[in-house]
Amino acid sequence: MLETIKLSKSFKGKKAVQDVNLYLDSGESVGLLGPNGAGKSTTISMISSLIKPTAGEIKLNGVNIINNPEQIRRILGVVPQELALYEALSAYENLKFFGSIYKIRGNELDKSIQRALEIVGLQDRQKDLVKTFSGGMKRRVNIAAALLHHPKILILDEPTVGIDPQSRNHILETVRMLNKNEGTTVMYTSHYMEEVEQLCDRLYIMDHGEIIASGTKGELLSILSTEDTIKVQLSKMDDRFVTQVKSIEGVRKVEAANTNLKIIAKKGINLVSELVYLSEQHHIQLINFHTENPSLEDVFLHLTGRTLRD
Amino acid sequence: MKSVMWAQLMKDKRNPLFILLFIAASIVATILFAGGIQTPTMVAVFSEEENAPEIEEKWHELLNVDSSFQFEIVTPEKAREDVMNGVIDVAVNVTETDYQIVIASELPTVSFVQQHVEKVFQREAQFRALEEAKGDKNVRSKMNSYLKNAPIQIEAKGLDGEGLPNFNLGTQLLFAFVFLVAMFMLGLKVNNVTNDKVSGVWNRMILSPIRKTGMYSGYILYTFLITMFQVIVVLILFKYVMNYEVGDNLGLILLIASFFVFSMISIAMLITGFVKTPEQFYSIYPSVIPLIPLVSGAYMMPGTISNPVLMFIADLFPMSHAMDAIMSVVFYDAGLRDVMMSLLLMLLIGVIAMGLGINLIERRNQ
Repeated sequence: MLETIKLSKSFKGKKAVQDVNLYLDSGESVGLLGPNGAGKSTTISMISSLIKPTAGEIKLNGVNIINNPEQIRRILGVVPQELALYEALSAYENLKFFGSIYKIRGNELDKSIQRALEIVGLQDRQKDLVKTFSGGMKRRVNIAAALLHHPKILILDEPTVGIDPQSRNHILETVRMLNKNEGTTVMYTSHYMEEVEQLCDRLYIMDHGEIIASGTKGELLSILSTEDTIKVQLSKMDDRFVTQVKSIEGVRKVEAANTNLKIIAKKGINLVSELVYLSEQHHIQLINFHTENPSLEDVFLHLTGRTLRD
Repeated sequence: MKSVMWAQLMKDKRNPLFILLFIAASIVATILFAGGIQTPTMVAVFSEEENAPEIEEKWHELLNVDSSFQFEIVTPEKAREDVMNGVIDVAVNVTETDYQIVIASELPTVSFVQQHVEKVFQREAQFRALEEAKGDKNVRSKMNSYLKNAPIQIEAKGLDGEGLPNFNLGTQLLFAFVFLVAMFMLGLKVNNVTNDKVSGVWNRMILSPIRKTGMYSGYILYTFLITMFQVIVVLILFKYVMNYEVGDNLGLILLIASFFVFSMISIAMLITGFVKTPEQFYSIYPSVIPLIPLVSGAYMMPGTISNPVLMFIADLFPMSHAMDAIMSVVFYDAGLRDVMMSLLLMLLIGVIAMGLGINLIERRNQ
């Protein structure tokens, strides 16, 4: 349905996005994951035709739309990272304005507004001024404003930034419902791994303006199929102990935080006896020890050498 | 375009105090700075010489010849106290042959009063010089009787054959302050473009089927209408409620005001093109705007600014053209054809500034 081919963008000679290839099939939910500054918002701005790429193509059903953005704008709903609303107006008035710029009029506009408000669960607060809303409610109005013209593709740029867990769950449920029940194609960017894991069929991982990995969750996790993640809780932390753990054969990476150790090691090696031996030597007690299945967070760490929120 | 205008109107409907404050500011500024000239300006006269009562009486009589000023004899302490407390703008400390102006700040009335006092003292100095040269104490009465039947007499008449109209600085100041406040108001409205760009509303509009021309027209037309509303309300209040001299041809004055407002909206749009955030606009615009009436000579008697560089700078802004046209209409009964050149110049400034401004804004988007 929608694909980008070697999409690149430079600002004053500095490359923000480089050779990004991605695609969205109709009805699927795709996540774009990456830390702040990875180039997610720039990629989304290019796809939604807000900024022109320096190089590359954006194809909608096989047709390059860079110089003919009206085609994609008609079927696209964009939920920006910022709260693109008039705080002095009520939720209803905001939606009336955003609906009217899409040339929706009269009863049809009112129906669209009520539907959008119902989807985001704000029908009973529609007459209230947006400035009186909580952060989460404002984000929901922000989403509703992108739904008024019944878009086929919905792009959400970090829609849960800075809100409470309850509102966050509501937004995630809304996006899931739009994708599963209404068949809306979703592109969701976030730097919260668990959101993308929960919502998306496929993922693209971005870092430093490039796609560094892509695939389904299973495909991405298979990158770490040769590794185990072991978490250990100690009675105290000792640098010499950590150094010796790192030198155990088969151990690939060790992260220490407070009294916890996260060890990424070759799959199948038995670390227990080695750890017990070393802890006795350093008079450290092993409080907890368990092997974890690798997460997407581990995949990101493996690929970039840092965590998503570094 | 209609949707954009509607949204802006709804925002103002939620907060009408903003517009009411601007209307009040126009009236208060005019009353504060121009009101004193509409009625005679009160000026205190005092002397600290030994024969103070005699000196005060002499100059009091000579200075009180113009209906624009009312000189009153007061004690030196009261004069200074009144100036300091802002009760009066100016006091004059007179001696036998000289004077000293006492002021607390450089208000527009000060130069007007000083011009008058200077004229009276110069004339008296000439009489004294003549009396001393001739050794004749009756020069003044001889001169007065001679001038009554002077061999060459000049009678000044206006274009309509009537006497020359009296130029009223108060009326000029009235329009200067109305336009000053209007410039602030329209600037803050034009800044909604930057506000909406930063908030993301602008991007939502770009993604919608609304055209760029429709978006810009919405903001510009709304700003124009709301500023004209303010100007019309203020001028009607001055003319019909407060009985100020606003001229008989209110229609033509409003036409000139509309060209001025359009032209200033374009300049505000040009400034918008240079800034990235609303805060930058707030820091630049209010610093530039008060300079425009100053450079344009809107607070001074016509002809006060004669420096060619300043005059050239003034011509780059619409205010000097608007004031020229309005003063011509109010005092010299100028018609549409007489002010056409000023209107065209304002239109030209408006078109150029608008073109540059929108171009800069669009470049920034890329």
